[in-house]
Amino acid sequence: MKTKKIVFFPAFKRVVPSDFENWLENMAANGWHIERVRQWSSIIMIFIKGEPKKCRFVYDVHPIVAKDYISTYEQFGWENLGRMASVNIWRMEYKDDRPEAFTDKDSIASRNNRTIAAVSVSFSIFLLGVLAMSIALIFFPDKVSANDRMQLIIGTVFFAVLAILLGFVMLYIYKGSKK
Amino acid sequence: MNEEKAIKKYIPMTETMFFILLSLQQEHHGYGIMQHVKQITENRIILGAGTIYNSLSRLEKDGLIKTLSEDDRRKNYITTELGKKILKVEANRIIKLYENVKSLLEEPI
Repeated sequence: MKTKKIVFFPAFKRVVPSDFENWLENMAANGWHIERVRQWSSIIMIFIKGEPKKCRFVYDVHPIVAKDYISTYEQFGWENLGRMASVNIWRMEYKDDRPEAFTDKDSIASRNNRTIAAVSVSFSIFLLGVLAMSIALIFFPDKVSANDRMQLIIGTVFFAVLAILLGFVMLYIYKGSKK
Repeated sequence: MNEEKAIKKYIPMTETMFFILLSLQQEHHGYGIMQHVKQITENRIILGAGTIYNSLSRLEKDGLIKTLSEDDRRKNYITTELGKKILKVEANRIIKLYENVKSLLEEPI
């Protein structure tokens, strides 16, 4: 019987925070558990087979947290699994009532807006890259050798594809922002 | 934040903000606020950790509450004069709402 399950790009396949939380909850219900969340967990996650458990997961984005952030959650009974980029993942085992960390519409919307803001940073970097390379190609064609031109074109297309992809991600989170 | 801006931002107030500000008439940390609000609302409102942390950060940034004491991991908060004023503005708004709706409540069912 398999005792390990490796999932690639888990956070990229489920960009809406509540979808990611529900997916982790389903995995735990089927006996697949994560022990820690690390910086690279958005790219690769390793699950270990164990007893099926009812666990609530919470996805919370904060680039910077105050000193009472961790202790506030812990006092409520949440276990900090770790951090990937600026996202903290929390877990709580439960029996009857499913626990919630965000208990009003405002704080759910604000969590999702913070997620969009975090994605928008990468989006802006790729967009600036596209602009810078396009300027070089359009306005200074004489200063760029044929070899460099080809590399710049490939780079521009690559960055543009990523920027468009992230644009859709932001739109998708925005549409699901009440969840 | 000055009073005018705070009124614009916080009035009408969400129940979450209302009960956090009301609770912080006395010194509390995050978990203590949840317990106090749960008690005074007779289990109707049970605030979550994320909601409390976000609300406290916002209220502190806007000067409606302040940190009274802190240790390595925990912060105790209390309302500021501005926070008290804003809560009173909201309380007056609720009283007016009540007066508007009172006659409806007095009608026999």
